[in-house]
Amino acid sequence: MNDNNRVAHRLAFLDGAAFSQADLESMAAEIEDNERIIAELEEFAQTTPWISLQVQPAGKKVGS
Amino acid sequence: MIDADILQLDLTDLSWRIAARQISSSETVRAALTRLEQLENKLNAFITVLRDQATVAAKQADEEIARGKYRGPLHGVPVTIKDMFETAGVRTTGGSKILADWIPNTDADLVEKLRAAGAIIIGKTNLDEFGHGGTSTLSHFGPVHNPWDVERIAGGSSGGSAAAVAAGIGPLSYGTETGSSVRRPASYCGIVGFKPTFGIISRHGSFRGAWSQDHVGLFARSVKDISLGLDAVAGYDPRDPASVQQDKPAYAFRLEAKIKGMKIGVPRRFLDSVTPAVKEAFDAALKVLADAGCEIVNIDIPELRYAAMTSNMTSSAESTGINRRWFRERHQDYVPHVARGIAVGMTITASEYLTVQRARQRIREAVRSAYERVAIIASPTTSRVAPLLSEGLKGNSDDTHHASFNHSNMLRFPSMLGLPGCSLPIGFSPEGMPIGMQLIGAWFADQTVLNSALAYQSETDWHTKRPALAPG
Repeated sequence: MNDNNRVAHRLAFLDGAAFSQADLESMAAEIEDNERIIAELEEFAQTTPWISLQVQPAGKKVGS
Repeated sequence: MIDADILQLDLTDLSWRIAARQISSSETVRAALTRLEQLENKLNAFITVLRDQATVAAKQADEEIARGKYRGPLHGVPVTIKDMFETAGVRTTGGSKILADWIPNTDADLVEKLRAAGAIIIGKTNLDEFGHGGTSTLSHFGPVHNPWDVERIAGGSSGGSAAAVAAGIGPLSYGTETGSSVRRPASYCGIVGFKPTFGIISRHGSFRGAWSQDHVGLFARSVKDISLGLDAVAGYDPRDPASVQQDKPAYAFRLEAKIKGMKIGVPRRFLDSVTPAVKEAFDAALKVLADAGCEIVNIDIPELRYAAMTSNMTSSAESTGINRRWFRERHQDYVPHVARGIAVGMTITASEYLTVQRARQRIREAVRSAYERVAIIASPTTSRVAPLLSEGLKGNSDDTHHASFNHSNMLRFPSMLGLPGCSLPIGFSPEGMPIGMQLIGAWFADQTVLNSALAYQSETDWHTKRPALAPG
């Protein structure tokens, strides 16, 4: 997928919210920035465990 | 006592005089409200002023104290709160057009605790919309101005709270922080700002910015006042899933300027982008701490070069989840810059968010290891003094888009990791604007942070300086 299509694909997440052309261009630039950030963070964190917090009630103990 | 003298008193002095009935809550609240109304057209620090309710509450406080029913150090004291906290029967806007007329039925936990402590809430302060920003210019109700120079920003998002305390409109204010929204405005406005460890103060009934980074924090002119204000509102609250079990708070009782032998780490690599005036003031502040018996050591935490971008991406994704419904229905009612930010956040995928959280864990482990070597990490709070309003949003010069040794990483890592942090005034720039230093402690070392900040204030008088702001 080329850059323009990738950004357009992401903008589709906006559920049809209308923005001016200038806003869309500014948002597209930020989205591209975010993609670079994710790539950097992916490399930085690749040996770190995935988060694995569950949702048991706080304070619950074995046998209680 | 005349109004001007009352407004010079800090919380500690005001409190004992009210308790001793040397001055009344009514005259104190009246003085604060008068000051507020005289300065509001210059500062725009408030969204809602509670003159009638505060006047009635102050009279009740005076009656209770006269009957011997004294509730503690905040009894009868005028305080302000950021308009992020729900107040029963009083509109709560979040700085947004979307909630411009919304009146909640219940109080936030913070408000419940303040009322129980007998504090008199005189107003709800202006902010960046729902806490999305670092300038307090992104409010539906217009920008907040800095009391030291009204052509400059107060910082955000709790800018109205910081401006109010700096201008002498009440000795204490409560705000929130997701990225740097207490420490930054405290630094820009020349006052003390403290954000405790994640979970120490309940967030129940306050709007969420990003749930895993949101904190309640507070502003005052001295560390002693901060500890009194913290004691009144800290404590376990089962309504906030992040709230932690804790003993009855006694930060003020345990406050002592005892730092001899304490190791303070300075991450020098992150200070290259700091302006010369800020660097000079920071080095002088470190010398004060060293002369008081601290050991100042260099500390290198290279993982922190990813902190600002990790914090920013976490906030962006989490705030989208919170705003999704309003955004779908009313995105045109948001402040335009905030709407664009939420829109960009909506394009972050779940797997990308999880990648960001892995990075956050790696940074946490590096910082945890650093706190095995030092008790406090110190840095300038901000890399420069408060920007001019005319500089726009770029004035804050936050570089959050790339891994780097930019100072903005220092600003963003404490909230992202839930660490206790205090910003306190350490000097002025050549143009007369305040400069701040932040002292960051390990998780639940809130008392250590407060004690080290008190030790600094015991040796200096920067926190006693007031802006020469004339009513008008």
